Amino acid sequence: MRKAMLTAALLMTTTALVSGCDGPRGGFGGKSGVKDTAYPEQVFWGDTHLHTGNSVDAFGFGARLTPEDALRFARGEEVKSSTGLAAKLERPLDFLVIADHAEGIGATKALYDAPRMLISDPTLLRWHDLMHEGPAGSLKATGEILQARGQNKLPPGLNDPVKGAERTRKIWDENIDTVERYNEPGKFTAFIGFEYTLMQGGNNLHRNVIFRDGKDKASKVVPLDPSSAAWPEHLWDYMEAYEKSTGGKVLAIPHNSNVSNGLMFMLTEPNGGPISAAYARRRAAREPVVEITQIKGDSEAHPFMSPNDEFAGYGTVGWDTNNLIFNQPTKQSELPGSYVREALKRGLLIEQRTGVNPYKVGVIGSSDSHTGLATVDENNFFGKHSGVEPSPQRATAGFVPGMNSGRMNWQALASGYAAVWATSNSREAIFDAMMRREVYATTGPRMTVRVFGGWDFKADDLKGDWVKAGYARGVPMGGSLKPGGAGAPSFILSALKDPVGANLDRVQVVKGWVDKAGVSHEQVFDVVWSDMDKRKAAGGKVPSVGDTVDTTRATYENSIGAPSLATVWTDPAFDPKVRAFYYVRVLEIPTPTWLNYDMVKYKLKFGPEIPLKQQERAYTSAIWYTPT
Amino acid sequence: MNLAQPGRQLLREPLVHFLIAGAAVFWLLSGRAPDLGERRIVVNEQVVSGLVQRWTDTFRRPPSQDEIDGLIRDYVQDQVYYREALSLGLDQEDEVVVRRMRRKMESLAVAEAESAEPGDAVLQAMIDKDPARYSDDARTSFDQIYLGADNPANRAAADAALTRLRKGEQVAGVAAPLPSHQDEASDEAIAGTYGDEFVLALRRTPPGQWAGPVASGLGLHLVRIAARTAPTKPSLDKVRQRVTNDWRAAAIARARDESYRRILEGYDVVIVRPK
Repeated sequence: MRKAMLTAALLMTTTALVSGCDGPRGGFGGKSGVKDTAYPEQVFWGDTHLHTGNSVDAFGFGARLTPEDALRFARGEEVKSSTGLAAKLERPLDFLVIADHAEGIGATKALYDAPRMLISDPTLLRWHDLMHEGPAGSLKATGEILQARGQNKLPPGLNDPVKGAERTRKIWDENIDTVERYNEPGKFTAFIGFEYTLMQGGNNLHRNVIFRDGKDKASKVVPLDPSSAAWPEHLWDYMEAYEKSTGGKVLAIPHNSNVSNGLMFMLTEPNGGPISAAYARRRAAREPVVEITQIKGDSEAHPFMSPNDEFAGYGTVGWDTNNLIFNQPTKQSELPGSYVREALKRGLLIEQRTGVNPYKVGVIGSSDSHTGLATVDENNFFGKHSGVEPSPQRATAGFVPGMNSGRMNWQALASGYAAVWATSNSREAIFDAMMRREVYATTGPRMTVRVFGGWDFKADDLKGDWVKAGYARGVPMGGSLKPGGAGAPSFILSALKDPVGANLDRVQVVKGWVDKAGVSHEQVFDVVWSDMDKRKAAGGKVPSVGDTVDTTRATYENSIGAPSLATVWTDPAFDPKVRAFYYVRVLEIPTPTWLNYDMVKYKLKFGPEIPLKQQERAYTSAIWYTPT
Repeated sequence: MNLAQPGRQLLREPLVHFLIAGAAVFWLLSGRAPDLGERRIVVNEQVVSGLVQRWTDTFRRPPSQDEIDGLIRDYVQDQVYYREALSLGLDQEDEVVVRRMRRKMESLAVAEAESAEPGDAVLQAMIDKDPARYSDDARTSFDQIYLGADNPANRAAADAALTRLRKGEQVAGVAAPLPSHQDEASDEAIAGTYGDEFVLALRRTPPGQWAGPVASGLGLHLVRIAARTAPTKPSLDKVRQRVTNDWRAAAIARARDESYRRILEGYDVVIVRPK
């Protein structure tokens, strides 16, 4: 472990410099005893979406790692992956949410463990036998289970309500105990959570549910099974009841809107009528943040809605043709309800009509890894599930090998992580930062990004303590700008490369607004980029940053781009009567994809369809402007 | 002294039970009545209520008399086939059976480690063996001015800036989301923001005055270290949970490996690979 190495070296050398001991930090579980800073000074990195062998599908795909393995791995320990490989993060994470599927929690494992003679249902028996045949059979069984679940055709035995409830309670209690043992305020935050895997005919309406609380409150409930629900109000009822009965706090993070066939961010309520203020208020209160990028593709923007954005469409190939379980093709008219930028615009439209914005959401990235391993570094990627852990075959295998999942594994992204500007590394501080949306997403690299919006920021502010000024005279990412200033809003934008990663190409502001006729618009501004004196913008476009990737060796050079980019930007076309949002996108210089690393490591030859390089990116939560 | 005591104790010894049972089995197998054990199937009350319970769990109603008879017939058939299959060695060819038995053995091997509670002496020994792992991080309070990418021009500018700083003049760095002052930042936090080499470089920097340029994963910096605290020696009370976690994870892994190694010792494994 790196920390041990650094500390050991220090223990041996600089004892002469001792100037006193640090006060009590840490203490486990329960109320955190850590000191909070006056405002967020540090960004904390984590994964809000990790599955272990306790998830129905993860176990079926071969995952045998437990929540304990997952937590140890996230903290920086080496663990052995389900396929027997040594796995270790280059850098530990600051927090982790184990989000195993609530429905049939442990059901696949229970089916696997069940005495064969007790299984009467022929379908369950077939899955049981397949799983015991070995990895290939297990994958096939799990593929079939997912298909059946998407179509509401699961044999009742698998979701047996009585047995299922007992099993869920047992696994939930064990899971909570493990999470409590690893939650170490000030050092590493382990959240209690689960995934609410809501689906409609195979359209993805999944949410991750995260508790702010510890065992005393969270063990009063069990994860909510979505099997009987069609829409998320069912979940919001559960969340409200939890908060009321325990005094605790809980939030939900929708994910993979890209495979929802337009259902994630609808303009209408489930009953078909337009979204009402009450409905909008409820959703906004429960779901402050969405997961914008993960292994199953990126949901920021799609070229169909954003034809003028040359960087739209990252990680959309293969994910935009069908819903999650690939049983319903996606119509073009359904795309807007599936992408976050469009959701932000729809939020403005609905707010214009009802006074409430249901889609005032911040953004985070997370892995959705089903291996127990939160890996999204391109050169250390353990794949979506244990069937595609590192191997020479995995790149060109199906996304779910052994069955026609409609997608290829090379379409998987090694993405992403959640970045949180919090006042300490504790459940309370990180949760509260998510509630106020002071969070951002990256596709994996740990870039530091800060944004403040206000009415009087000037270029000179960057020369002083602009973070302090940002909080004093403006609002951070996730905040709301109220009318009050004269002129147009100005923004302090600052981005820093990952200290062990690639340089930055550019920082962009994405503005969305709704005109008086009720039509939404968007515009992407390049606001600061590397070598601005040489890369002059022409025809509204900044020339490409270049490319140093050597795909024969899977390397790149930081000889182009810049380690940091900062500016103060003022909206050139501000109309105080028009509601708008502004978020920031930061692009890295081109770097090799996980596929390129695989190609070099295993000496493979790929067809031209397989992407070997990419520009990784960060997306911030927006700042909203609302006229009076 | 009661002379009967050792005899009574002997009777409680598991090893003695094992030997007696083994002798009985040996006698049964070698004697004239080998069928008393394997060829006798008893369906007693306990077995029947178990069958009824499972049926009720599955179908949400109790079975009828006919259905109970059917369950018993099935049970007997299962047992007959199961025992015959074992005697024919069919289990050895069946991957499902093999895997399941392996899993049962593995669970047995780790069950004890999973529920065991280590004593303080064990935990303290773990800390003593690797104090760095459990110590609270070294912490540094420092001022920092960022100068941008590590290139010759910025290095030259750094020297000039350093001279001015040492004269007490102000120097504005390159704007970046980095704090200009950090209080008691842990090594881990500093490494997360700047990279490992910066932590090591800070350690070589004398405190009290502006110094540099210091290189990080981000570029060049001028730094002034205000104070540094060595890592605190870990006390068991402060790190108990973390040490216990480590102990348990290691104990489970060790139990699994050791149990396998012990069993393996009784086997002669010959591997012949195809040419």
